[in-house]
Amino acid sequence: MNTIAPSKNSPMIELTGVRKNYGNYEVLKGIDAEVARGEVVVICGPSGSGKSTLIRTVNRLEEIGSGSISCDGNNIHRPMPAKELNRLRSRIGFVFQSFNLFPHLSAIDNIAMSPIRVKGVARDVAYAKATQLLERVGLTDKANAYPGQLSGGQQQRVAIARALAMEPPVMLFDEPTSALDPEMVGEVLSVMKGLAADGMTMMCVTHEMGFARDVADRVWFIDQGQIVECAPPEEFFSRPQTARAQRFLSELRH
Amino acid sequence: MISDIIAIIRDYWLLLLIGQYPNGPLGGLAATLMLSVLAIAFAFPVSIALALARLSKSPLLNWPVSALVYFTRGVPLLMLILWGYFLVPLVTGASVPSFLTMLVTLVVYQGAFLSEVVRGGIVALGHGQMEAARALGHSYLGAMRYVILPQALYNVIPSIISVFVSTIKDTTLGYVINVPDLTFAASQINNQLLTQPFQVFFILAAVYYVICWSLSRVAVLTERRITRKRAGTAAQATAKSLKLAALTDQPS
Ligand SMILES: Nc1ncnc2c1ncn2[C@@H]1O[C@H](COP(=O)(O)OP(=O)(O)OP(=O)(O)O)[C@@H](O)[C@H]1O
Ligand SMILES: [Mg+2]
Repeated sequence: MNTIAPSKNSPMIELTGVRKNYGNYEVLKGIDAEVARGEVVVICGPSGSGKSTLIRTVNRLEEIGSGSISCDGNNIHRPMPAKELNRLRSRIGFVFQSFNLFPHLSAIDNIAMSPIRVKGVARDVAYAKATQLLERVGLTDKANAYPGQLSGGQQQRVAIARALAMEPPVMLFDEPTSALDPEMVGEVLSVMKGLAADGMTMMCVTHEMGFARDVADRVWFIDQGQIVECAPPEEFFSRPQTARAQRFLSELRH
Repeated sequence: MISDIIAIIRDYWLLLLIGQYPNGPLGGLAATLMLSVLAIAFAFPVSIALALARLSKSPLLNWPVSALVYFTRGVPLLMLILWGYFLVPLVTGASVPSFLTMLVTLVVYQGAFLSEVVRGGIVALGHGQMEAARALGHSYLGAMRYVILPQALYNVIPSIISVFVSTIKDTTLGYVINVPDLTFAASQINNQLLTQPFQVFFILAAVYYVICWSLSRVAVLTERRITRKRAGTAAQATAKSLKLAALTDQPS
C-alpha cells in the first residue's frame, strides 16, 4: 500500500478499493489513497490510464463499481436521495479541461448564479462575493464580459472562481491547462498556486511538472487504472521507482 | 376582378374579421388568431415537458411519451382532428365545442413536433454544460432550467418560429369540424356569393400569407441576429472594445 502523508485530522478524501469498469474494460483497478486536509495532490500518468475517471468519481460525475470514496467525512457513493448528492457535490469544486462556463451568462453571473440558485444565498451577498472572487483571479474588469468574449485563460480563471463561489473545502482539477495556448497556462497556474497557498485541499490532474514541483505535496502516478507511485514531487521526479514512471517522465521531457 | 375583391371586402369585412359575433360565436380572423396564439402558448410548455420526458432515463416517462410523439408525427393532422371530434364525445358523453377540440388537437400535434425541436436543441449542447451545472450542485431540473434550456431554446428560436407558422396554417383544418375561423367565414361568403370562389379564396390566401410571411420574416431576422451575435462574440474574443460593439450593433 502507498504511504500516506501524516495528517492531524481525518483525511479530506479517502478512496478505498475503488474499482470501475466500462463494459469488460477495467478502468480503475482498486485505488486506495488519501488526501489530507490542506494537501495538494498532483495526479499524472499516460493518456487513457484513468486519471479523469478517477477524479470524476470523487464528486460522483462517474459511478464506481465497488469500493468507497469519502470526502470531508461523507460517503459519496452510498445510496442517497438526489438532494443529498447535490448538496455533497456543491461542496466539491470541480474545474474542467474545457472550462464549461455557461455561455449565456456574463462572468459575474456565472459565478453568482449557483450560490443563489443552489444555496439560496441572497443576491447582493452572492454578487459581493462574486466580485471578490473576480478580483482574486485577476478579472475585475471582465465582470460583465460573456465567456465568448474571454480568452481561454480568462475563461478558466472564471471557472475556478465559479467553483470557489460555492465555498467548497476541496477543489478538483482535471487538466485545467491542457486546452490553453501556452502563453495562458501561467495565469491559471498562478491562481491555483494562490489557492494552494491559502490552504485549499486540491486534487489536480496535470502534466505541468513545474506546478507539481512547486505546489504539490505528493504526486500520484497512475498507470492502467492503478496508482503505481505515490511520492513527494522531488522524490518522484528525481528517483522514480518503477520502470513505467521512468518511461513516462522521460517521454514527458521530450 | 380587383373591383370584385374590393367589393367582397367592403361587404363582408366584419364577417371576415369576427365572424357572426356578437350574434354567434367569435369567428373569422379573430378566432384564427386566438386559436393560433392559444395553441402556440400551450404547445410551447407542453413541448418542453415532452422533450424532458423523452430525454429521461426513466422508461415510465420515456416510453409512453416517445410512443405519443412518434404516433402524432406519423399521422396526418386531419386524422387527429376527426378522431378528437368524433371520439371525445363518444368517450366522455359530453359534447365539446369544436374550437376546444381543435385547440387541444393542435396543442398535442404541434407540441409533439416542437418537442423534437427542443430535444434537438438540448442534445446539441453536449454533456459539458449539464456536467458543469451538476458539479456545482444543481439538481437535474435546476440545471435544465437555469443552464440548459435558456441556451437550447435560444439556439432553436428560428425552428420554433417555423413551427408557429405551420400552427397558424394548420388552424385552417378546423374548417372540417366547423370551427368558425377565417376559413369558415370565407367559405360562408363563398356559399352566399356562389359565383366568385376565386376572389373569395384569394382574399383568404392573402390574409394567411401576410400573417405567416411576417412571422417567417421574424424567423429569418432572428436567425441572422443569432448568427451575427455568435460571430460577434467569437470575433470579440480578441478585441477589447465591447462598448463600441454595443453602440454599432444595429437595433432591431
Ligand atoms: N464513457 C466511457 N465509455 C467507455 N470507455 C471509456 C469511457 N470514458 C473513458 N473510457 C476509457 O477509459 C480509459 C480511461 O479514460 P480516462 O479518460 O480516465 O483517461 P485519462 O487518464 O484521463 O486520459 P487522458 O490523459 O487522455 O485524459 C480510457 O481507455 C478510455 O478510453
Ligand atoms: Mg483525462
